[in-house]
This record gives sequence, C-alpha cells and structure tokens, in this order.
Amino acid sequence: MSAPFAAKRLGKELQKISNSLPPGIELVSADNFEEWLLDIRVLDDNPLYRNEIYRLRFRFSSTYPIEPPEVVFVKLPDRPIPIHPHIYSNGIICLDLLGHQGWSPVQNVESVCMSLQSMLTGNSKNERPPGDEEFVRGNRLRPRDIEFYYHDNDV
Amino acid sequence: MNVVKKADSDFWKLPVSKVDKSGNPEPRAAPLFSPQRLPVRPQLQWGHRYPEPPLRRCGRSRHGDGHRITDMAKSIQLKEEGNRRFQAGDYAQAEALYSQAIIADPTNPALYTNRAMARLKLSQWDSAIADCSECLRLSPNSMKAHYILSQAHLALRAHDDAVHHALRAHALCIGDDANNNAAKTSNQNSLATITAHVLRCKKERWDHLEKRRVRETSELEAEVLELLARERERAVRDAEENGLGEAGRKEVEEEWDAKAERLREVFERARPKEEKKRRVPDWAIDDISFCVMVDPVVVSSTTKTGKSYERASIVEHLRRHPHDPLTREPLYISELRPNLDLKQACDEFLEENGWAADW
Repeated sequence: MSAPFAAKRLGKELQKISNSLPPGIELVSADNFEEWLLDIRVLDDNPLYRNEIYRLRFRFSSTYPIEPPEVVFVKLPDRPIPIHPHIYSNGIICLDLLGHQGWSPVQNVESVCMSLQSMLTGNSKNERPPGDEEFVRGNRLRPRDIEFYYHDNDV
Repeated sequence: MNVVKKADSDFWKLPVSKVDKSGNPEPRAAPLFSPQRLPVRPQLQWGHRYPEPPLRRCGRSRHGDGHRITDMAKSIQLKEEGNRRFQAGDYAQAEALYSQAIIADPTNPALYTNRAMARLKLSQWDSAIADCSECLRLSPNSMKAHYILSQAHLALRAHDDAVHHALRAHALCIGDDANNNAAKTSNQNSLATITAHVLRCKKERWDHLEKRRVRETSELEAEVLELLARERERAVRDAEENGLGEAGRKEVEEEWDAKAERLREVFERARPKEEKKRRVPDWAIDDISFCVMVDPVVVSSTTKTGKSYERASIVEHLRRHPHDPLTREPLYISELRPNLDLKQACDEFLEENGWAADW
C-alpha cells in the first residue's frame, strides 16, 4: 500500500474535520499529509487540566491507516505537557491505542483526539509515569519504536 | 502506484535481471537476434512458466525439440533484456525486444502482456489491446492481461469495456483461480491497485455519461428555444396581418417571451443541484480507506460484528494484525465473506453517483 492510499484517506478526514469537530478539539494546521497539529482541552472541571489547552502533533506514514499515526504532545510557551501517569514530560504518550498492537485502521484523527481527551478527563493522579526523568533524559527513539508495556487497562 | 514494480511472481512482474549479477553487461552490441546458438543457461526453468507443449510453434522450430528449446531460451533472454530496458524507462527498445522474443517463441503469454505494458507506456492503445487478446487466447485467466486491457480501453474511452475488464482482473485477483497458488499470491499483492482502478473506471464512465447527458439536455434546450422563437415570429406576423395594431403585436410578443422564459426555468430546475446530490451514505463507505466499496466483505461468523469492509483494505490490515478492527478479537482472512447485497447496493449507488468514486 503506498502513499496515494494514505493521502486519499487523510484528504477525506481533513474534509470532514474541517467542517466539524467535537467540542474541545480544534484543528491548528494540516498543510500536508505528513504532519497535522491539533489543540485539545478537557471539557469538565478536572483541576489538573482546568483552563489549559494542549497541542497534539500527528505524524502519518505512507501506510496510514493500516499503521498508527505517531501522536505526541508538543510543548510551547502557552501549551504545556499535561500531567498524567501515562504521559512523559517530553510529550510521549503511552497508550495502547497508538501502538502497533492496539491500533485499528477504523480509528482516525478525531477518534484519537477524543480518546486522549477522555484519558485526561478520567485521570485524578497528579503524577508522571514511573522513571519519567530517566526516560526523558535517555530516550532517543521515536515513539513508534518504543516497546511500551501496557500494565493497566483502566486509564 | 506501479503494479509492475511491486509483484513477485515471474509471470506478473517484469523481473529485474537474473542474468548478470556478476556485473558484466550483456553483450548488447552483439546481434541479439542472430541465428547462432545461444548457450542455454542451466538455471533456466522455462518449463513451469507456461503449459507444455505449446500448440503452435514458430516457423524455425519445426526441426525438433532441440531447436525449440534454443528458441525458447533465446526468447527468455530477449525478454529479460526487454525487462531491463523497461525498468530503465526505454519503452520503445523494450517493445522491440519483446517483439523479437515473441518471434522466437510465440507461445509464451507473458511476452504479450510485457509488450502490452510497453505499448501502454508508448500510448499505442490498439496494439496493446491486440497483445492482451493474444495473451488471453493462450492463457484465458491472465489477470495482468485484463488489467492492461482495461487501461487501454479506458484511454480509448471505451468505458464499458474498461469496467468489464477491470472487474475481471479484480475477480482473478481475489482468487478465482484457486488452483494456481503462485499466481494467486502475487495477484493478491495487486488487489489494492486493481480495486482503485475499478473505481477509476467507474468514475470515468460516469463522467462521460454525465457530460453527454448535460450536452444532450442543453442541445434540446437550444432546439426547443429556437422552435419557440420561430413560432413567436409567426404569431407576430399573424397579428400584423390581422391588423391587431401596435398594442396587439406587443401583447403577442410578451406572451411568447414569457413562454420562452418559463421554458428556461423548467430546464434550469431539471439541472442537478450539486450540493444536494453530493453526499455519500455511510453504508457505502469502507471505514478503512474511506472510499466507496467495490467488493465489500463482511466479518460474519456468529460471534463477530457483521461489519463490512472493502476487501483490499481489510486484507491489508489482517495480513499484519489478524484481529477484528472493532472488537480486536482474532480474525482471519479466511473468515471474510462477500457481502453480495451490499455490493449490489454500492454498485447501484455508483451507477447513479459516479462522482462518488473519488469522493
């Protein structure tokens, strides 16, 4: 499966999300079919995330949607990295949905954003993943090449 | 996507050189077509590639099998040289080499599809079609021949033929020829390409018909308006002859102008309202590729979802991860079943809404 396949599908996704996105999700830029930026915020009053907006970066390979996109939080002056036991302080997200095993081609950019939104909404722990500092200092791998061990399924 | 570069069975691809791994270039300047015996390389296994014995032999092969084998070996050598030229983008030279290969061995169906590919590249549609017909005569289930035929017909705007052969290629792709496993595997690699090609053929056919319909409608409109204008002139003349005066003449003129205006409105209303029409129902769309489905297959054992996907998409997914995209339960390609009713519904939808093929 080659690039036209991914481009076609992304073109249709873009068409759809340019018209409407669920509340709390906004398209920031999608200038090509390789990298898109979106902003998300949580909709309830969770004190960990109140009044904050977070920037997500999607990167697509030519095998999307058969293979998952690479999704990370990006740090900017007005866009922090949300605190969460599955989100490292460099923005890398440990979510099985985004791994090769958990990904499904019926997922899309919108559904990933909504999953992340609800992952934040449902969290009450004000902490980073165990070993965060060490991981952030040492990691040179791209997110898709990291072997995460998904130890708990209820987040 | 270039099918030719991807596949892996010899019949299907135009193979890269198997000959000169040593780096020694073939003696290109030497007369490729000379009558002298070319050495038969021991690793050549020509026998399994096409049925033996061929019914027709070329003229110079009558003297016995020794000569025939020589001709076949020469033919294969010419073909491989042609493949190299093809890969290098020199389609005219490739075409000439395939022609020589066919003279040496006119019974190998692969030579005809290879030459047809080269002729496609050279925009020689009619002779590409002739090659495919010859290939299909020798090997009626050649997926590649149907695919090339479809492309040539598409270029010639023979849309019905293009769709017909695209669908034949698709059927062969998903393994109507289940007894030929090697061909089946390589054909499956082309499934995504062929599926996209089917959609393209349908789209172009619809565009063509739509254009014709629009043209015919506007021709009819012009014709009827002209008739009205003539009728108006006659009525005005009558009014003058009957001495109705300036006021009477004006009344008649206005009456006919109003008729013409109403007629224009009627034609205007009959024109399709783009924005109203351009919606693809969710049931017609494959959730993986987001395209209208050509060959929907359903996930259909009792415990599974009953959801349908485009065959090319779901197969691509299941090859890497054999689980249901929605439930993540184990799911194997062998569990997919054609969804015939949905296929018919999608076909009918595309028939009416060809624009949706590249929605």
